[in-house]
Amino acid sequence: MFRHPWAPYAFIAPAFIGLFVFRFIPIGLSGFGSFFSENLRGDMVFVGLKNYAELMDDPSFWNTMRVTLIFNLIINPFQICCALALAMLVRRPSKFIDVFRLGFIMPMTVSIALTSIIWSILLDPTLGPVNGLLRWGGFQSQPFFRSEHQALETLILVATWKGAGYWMIFLLSGLLAIPKEIDDSALIDGATGIRKFISITLPLMKRPLAFVLVADTAANFLLFAPVYIITNGGPNGATQLLMFEAYQAAFAYINHGRSMAISTIILVVVLLIAMFELRLFIPAEEEQS
Amino acid sequence: MSHRLSEGLRYTLLVIIAVILLTPIYWLVMSSLRPADHIFRFSGNFSIETLIPFAFTLDNYSQALQSNVGRALFNSLFVSLTTVICGVFVNSLAGFAFAVFDFRFKKLLFVLILLSFMMPFESIVIPLYTLMRTIGWTDTYAALIMPEVAGGLIIFLFYQFFRGIPREIYEAARMDGANWWQIYYKMTMPLSGPTIATASLMIFIHQWDAFFWPLVATSSERLAVIQVAIARNMTMEQANWGAFFASASLAVLVAMVPFFWLQRHYVKIVITNADR
Repeated sequence: MFRHPWAPYAFIAPAFIGLFVFRFIPIGLSGFGSFFSENLRGDMVFVGLKNYAELMDDPSFWNTMRVTLIFNLIINPFQICCALALAMLVRRPSKFIDVFRLGFIMPMTVSIALTSIIWSILLDPTLGPVNGLLRWGGFQSQPFFRSEHQALETLILVATWKGAGYWMIFLLSGLLAIPKEIDDSALIDGATGIRKFISITLPLMKRPLAFVLVADTAANFLLFAPVYIITNGGPNGATQLLMFEAYQAAFAYINHGRSMAISTIILVVVLLIAMFELRLFIPAEEEQS
Repeated sequence: MSHRLSEGLRYTLLVIIAVILLTPIYWLVMSSLRPADHIFRFSGNFSIETLIPFAFTLDNYSQALQSNVGRALFNSLFVSLTTVICGVFVNSLAGFAFAVFDFRFKKLLFVLILLSFMMPFESIVIPLYTLMRTIGWTDTYAALIMPEVAGGLIIFLFYQFFRGIPREIYEAARMDGANWWQIYYKMTMPLSGPTIATASLMIFIHQWDAFFWPLVATSSERLAVIQVAIARNMTMEQANWGAFFASASLAVLVAMVPFFWLQRHYVKIVITNADR
């Protein structure tokens, strides 16, 4: 490592100014603004914890919280299992494997907004090709996003369609980093198939898995576009996720104090979960490396 | 299980997954090539024509390009590419500092970077909008570009790669009298092709994908990026499905270009990033 009186600061200055202005100030504003509320004349007045107290008393907020937590408890493990399965399948170099590697990340090119629109058409009860295929195969057509009982599950599947390939990239780079010798010695010891995967591969994947889990949770906690475009939180609140609630508070009900209180709650919850997830994977003493 | 059997099983799975992942994109592009009144004719009742259009037309594309979609594609490209250029520069500088120097507050600043990419952007969209309103940047390109330039994940990516460059190279250059800017600009960056490619791809796709922030930050038609324009066209003129499928296909096909272009680099970085 080198030392220099000012060069390192000059090098990091542009990035830190950017992060400070566009990340840390808004975070501060969100915490600060959540203590204010607009009065009838349109002035912001300090109201202390009133915005939070109102949220705590609001059953619809608790429904949002419940839906968001259920959504995340299912989608994060599911998406990561899918991504890991994809990564394992394309891990070993063989014929056409580059084609599959590229093919699996193609859904990344479909933006989340387009993903929402396209899948809402694909899954339409009458016009949707998926139901067309189901009827053709002799099955009943399904309501998908139109049903209170299927909407959240459908949302999870659609988000996974788009996300699995993206997270696969990080896990694949982890898998490819495992030295070949370890694989070979495992074979000599007679470890194959599932046993080898659990006792050898998984422990070596701790770091990439931890990174993907944290990043994936953060992304899914903030899922917004499909709810905004397809379901509007419905049917009957079944897909009312936190980020959509914050958006509604700010832009539909013009209640900035409430919206900032929700944003602040989201930030704190995401950070707490991220810290918990990191602890789960990487015990404290290892963290230094 | 014999080797050949398990390979057969593996390829069967690979093909099934590829079909699931790629069919929606295929269907989107095929629909864009159908005459507008054919788009939904075969979708609800499955037949061979659901998959392969028998009647082709480019009408939808000429219609889409006459509307605001051309402008929106330009906006998206302009915003994404500008962010890529600024982002690669700004974040590689920071990554360089963390990889090469020892300095006061280094640990603390590094933790701040990690925190900044754990907090996803969307959660600060509303306070950020308030900030933009205060400095008068709402409805400008700057509002779309500037917040996405500095990014913790990209700094981290560069840091990881730069750390692997042996320090002897720097020592030799210092002996020859090069200053740190010259070392960064003439030695480190030219060595970093694959990392720059990966960072560019990540920034590009992130900006191309952006929906929530542009929706909030820009309200005028003139500044609508492609994702916002498509969503607005959807709600305003429900009926024009032909134009929707054409503009959506354009948005997807343009986003594919850098993937095919940088594919080589990408696979390579996945492997070199290996040493963590």
